[in-house]
Amino acid sequence: MLNGFKNPGRIVLIGGESDIGLSIVAQLSPDKSREVILVGRTGEWALDVTDKAARERVVEKLFVGRDLDLAIIAVGVLGKDPTLSASDNLVQAMDVNYLSTVHLLSLISDRMSNQAHGKILVISSFAQVRPRDDNYGYGSTKAGLDFYARGLSSKLKGTGVTIKILRPGFVKSKMTEGLATPPFTITTEECGRYGVVALKSKKLVTWAPSILKYVSVLFNSLPLPIFRKISQR
Amino acid sequence: MRITESQIVSGWGNNFHSLATRAAIANVAEVAELVSMGTTNRGLLPVGVHRSYGDSGLNSGGTLVDLAELNQIAIDAHTGIATVGAGVTIAELERAALAHSLFPPVVPGTWNVTMGGAIAADIHGKSHHKTGSFSQSVLRMTLLLSNGQLVTYFPHDQEFWATVGGLGLTGIVTELQIQLREVQSNSVDVTEHRVANLSAMLELLRNSDQDYEHTVAWIDLSGDYRGRGVVSLGNYGSKSLREKEGSGRLSVPDLAGINFITPLTVKAFNELWFRKPVKNGAVLLSKYMHPLDGISNWNRIYGAPGFLQYQFVVDEGKEDIFERLFAGLRGLKASSFLGVLKKFGAAAPAPLSFPRPGWTLTLDYSVTVPGLEKFLQEFDEELVTAGGRVYLIKDSRLSPALLPAMYPQIEQWREIQRAMDPHHLWQSDQSRRLQLC
Repeated sequence: MLNGFKNPGRIVLIGGESDIGLSIVAQLSPDKSREVILVGRTGEWALDVTDKAARERVVEKLFVGRDLDLAIIAVGVLGKDPTLSASDNLVQAMDVNYLSTVHLLSLISDRMSNQAHGKILVISSFAQVRPRDDNYGYGSTKAGLDFYARGLSSKLKGTGVTIKILRPGFVKSKMTEGLATPPFTITTEECGRYGVVALKSKKLVTWAPSILKYVSVLFNSLPLPIFRKISQR
Repeated sequence: MRITESQIVSGWGNNFHSLATRAAIANVAEVAELVSMGTTNRGLLPVGVHRSYGDSGLNSGGTLVDLAELNQIAIDAHTGIATVGAGVTIAELERAALAHSLFPPVVPGTWNVTMGGAIAADIHGKSHHKTGSFSQSVLRMTLLLSNGQLVTYFPHDQEFWATVGGLGLTGIVTELQIQLREVQSNSVDVTEHRVANLSAMLELLRNSDQDYEHTVAWIDLSGDYRGRGVVSLGNYGSKSLREKEGSGRLSVPDLAGINFITPLTVKAFNELWFRKPVKNGAVLLSKYMHPLDGISNWNRIYGAPGFLQYQFVVDEGKEDIFERLFAGLRGLKASSFLGVLKKFGAAAPAPLSFPRPGWTLTLDYSVTVPGLEKFLQEFDEELVTAGGRVYLIKDSRLSPALLPAMYPQIEQWREIQRAMDPHHLWQSDQSRRLQLC
């Protein structure tokens, strides 16, 4: 349950190895009595996110006997080749970033609706703004997830459950190691701070950093040839 | 039975917002019917007038059982025994009792508390050093258990004491019998003293226990935090006073969710309170006992973010903890509207009843005070070291890990509670937050 300061007592981070996810958890106001569950590839709460039955089993277990106040869904892969042109990579990213994550969202929001409270933070991406030649595959998986999360948020009105979407730009992390850093790159720690802002915000969407909101408007308004030129730099 | 759609409910502190269905029941048969209907896995919670500050009276996703209509009062003028329904408020009981020159021996600072709530919180008042808590004047109680049975318990039953202070988690209290006391009039003879600091306040309270039925102190916890204040002492009076129609019923309007409690407003208010002429002489019982009810909806002054009340008790001899508390609060620039200090008498033999011998201090704070959450967590640990504890009916932020140290008989309570409610029908947001059962 939330306490009287509106701080969660029990949190799950799905994508328990995610640098961004861990950074958000670390920056929530500290409380010794808070329980944080890390669902990741290994450990007590190990989950192969692409296994449907396993997802159902783990979500079921998360709600046994106790309420869950906050779920941070930070599951995602970029793929070895960011363009995801190799079909295996593309299929894997679609499975992890979209299909499995959407299923998790649906399972968790159902359970939270039953408890009539709860918050879910979805890690989307700036990549879903407009297809770029170098990452439209990854971008499409996040676009799908973002779209679903916005729809779910609207559907959940009046149930006590809320959805928050964080759209980070380029974050220096394990996932992006070795890639060139574009403008407005932030660290995982900075991204974690935006995650905390997103959780407290009344708005559905939070950009990390905030300026990306305006960059996205700009990107969407540019004619394609100009956009391609800029985005290929 | 009227069952309404899910709606948002808050405690008196407005710092929780919870969605729950409400079942307004008209009689005991309907309570039984509701229990036999079965519920979702979120269970039922009996509620009264929602004056508990935090989440004790909330049940997200579940059903609130509104007992307001169990409001019958029968008083035997000869024995002074009142038989009352769970939905009767202290205000209603007082008025009915005074008609027979009787009065409930224990009444709290607000009269907007139902009998069910008074048991669930084992409330106390200014008379605690003489009379103990509410439960100590209860002769028997009738409870509807989760198996649908209606059972009457007496003070020799362990179920009686598990229900006292049991936060509504053992069953639905439907009816109580209370031993009222005789009074000569509707007034209290009051003597008030201004005191300059905490030690003078403690000294005066300590020395007044013997001679006064009612003792309490208002403490100024703003500015320099010296603990100046007003000590108020009273005995039941003999002078009958006329109650002025419609007087003293001010109401705070809807303030558009703005928090008016700032260090400046608090300081100004506390200064006025300290300077106002002290009372001496006969005061209406209702006015003396329930100063909080002079202004209705006073909780609105804290605005949309809401506030919390922090009340704790420590043993005599551990008074140095106050100094540390005041130093910490001064550091946070946290100002309390008015603190209440009182010396408790003997404890009730109930595992979760709060009052026990020592000093109890009550403070209100806006939840927006930066650093307050962390500070209170640290102070809780000091409190445990000093052998103290916090009042659960007012809590909205205790760490469940500290419960066994504060309430050492909690395991014993859990055992009795489990036997009374094996299917976990009674639930509240607080019971989930603190993992009570």
